[in-house]
Amino acid sequence: MAGDTMTSDPDDVATQLRQLLADVTGRPELVDVPASTPLFGGGVGLDSLAGTLLLRQIQRRYGVDVAAEDLNLDSLQTLGTLTAFIVDRLGTG
Amino acid sequence: MTSDPVIKAVVWDIDNTLLNGVYLESPEQPPAADPVLASVLTELAGRGILQALASRNPPEAADYVRSVTGARFAAAECGWESKAAAIGRIAAELDLPADAIAFVDDDMLERAEVAAALPDVLVLTPEDAAEAATWPQFSPAVVTAEARRRGELYAERRARQAAASAFGGGRDDFLRHVGTRIKISRARTADLPRLHELSVRTHQLNSAGEPVTEAELAGLVESAAYQVTTLRLADDFGDDGLVGAAIMTGNGAGEPVPFTAMVPLVMMSCRALGRGALDALLAWMCQAAAQAGATELAVPCLITDRNVPMRLALAAAGLRAEAGTVAPDGRAIFTRSLTGDLPALPEWASVEATPWQATP
Repeated sequence: MAGDTMTSDPDDVATQLRQLLADVTGRPELVDVPASTPLFGGGVGLDSLAGTLLLRQIQRRYGVDVAAEDLNLDSLQTLGTLTAFIVDRLGTG
Repeated sequence: MTSDPVIKAVVWDIDNTLLNGVYLESPEQPPAADPVLASVLTELAGRGILQALASRNPPEAADYVRSVTGARFAAAECGWESKAAAIGRIAAELDLPADAIAFVDDDMLERAEVAAALPDVLVLTPEDAAEAATWPQFSPAVVTAEARRRGELYAERRARQAAASAFGGGRDDFLRHVGTRIKISRARTADLPRLHELSVRTHQLNSAGEPVTEAELAGLVESAAYQVTTLRLADDFGDDGLVGAAIMTGNGAGEPVPFTAMVPLVMMSCRALGRGALDALLAWMCQAAAQAGATELAVPCLITDRNVPMRLALAAAGLRAEAGTVAPDGRAIFTRSLTGDLPALPEWASVEATPWQATP
């Protein structure tokens, strides 16, 4: 797969996350989703199923277990907050 | 909890197990079904236990076994990989833990490999399997109509998933497109066996993580202090029946206003995942509790690897726990204010629940 290289560059992580989001929701247009669009609710409509699949892919790709580290899953508010959370964990790992 | 985990799926080998011989040795006229095991399979399927195939054969072998046994298989893995890998994929597809799966194979090496790789799987010889129908772990206490239909429901789910992956829009557009119908109503006595079963079977979408007995449920349904609410789900692919429920109560005697609506349990079958059912139930809970005068909704939720989907639904409905407040029992209390904007019910949800009366 393209874009599998491990990176902690925020722009690269954001690009990869947009692709994962498009994959797990089956909505290709999400590769262009703005960093500030809410993932839950109206904007992206991330639900339990797509959210679980996304977290599983994140764990596989980055080794970051978001659900274990973020009780409230606030990191999933927007693509921007999710990117920041992962970049932060990659930086300290 | 019982010491013997209840088996929810049986994975069968084909050659010299379900068939009286080797499929590929006589492709013109493959061997007949083993009559004893075929009848065991039918009996177990009738109890709501899923049936699946794992075989080192081409996929046509599965079609052949289907035709000679008349069985509906919830999953079939035919190929040249290890049986352990095949069982792992079946477990993932059916969303079952390894200890809910039995594996039947005549080949000692296959059995040894699966036992080593997946120690929680119940590994059986064909001789074991012939009498397994009398074992307690193959005998659910109550077999509900929904349990018996489970094989068909998995087939419907596969058809729905195929349609979803071919559909171009967002989730809500898809749910509308396939005629999703949700009915929220107050639990009745007839619902108790299914509610108990859900409390045992649900893990991914279960806040409490503890089974509730039928007697306990009966007490809650009759109690004026509790409201037990059910959710039924259907769409153009099929009727899933009762898939979820919530138990709500006040925060103590007298219910001073303002009060907190407590939710000892909210649960949803995994076959409702991705179909907006839990979101609708949580939205209804917020609205019903607000109408009853509550200013806050509180859901104690067990924090585990398996129920992350439940936490995602709670987060999506605006519930939050205080960071670092996971109690020694593994639970955190997720709350949200009921003043201001509340989550909305989708237009395909109909509510028959009587308004919640928090005070007797």
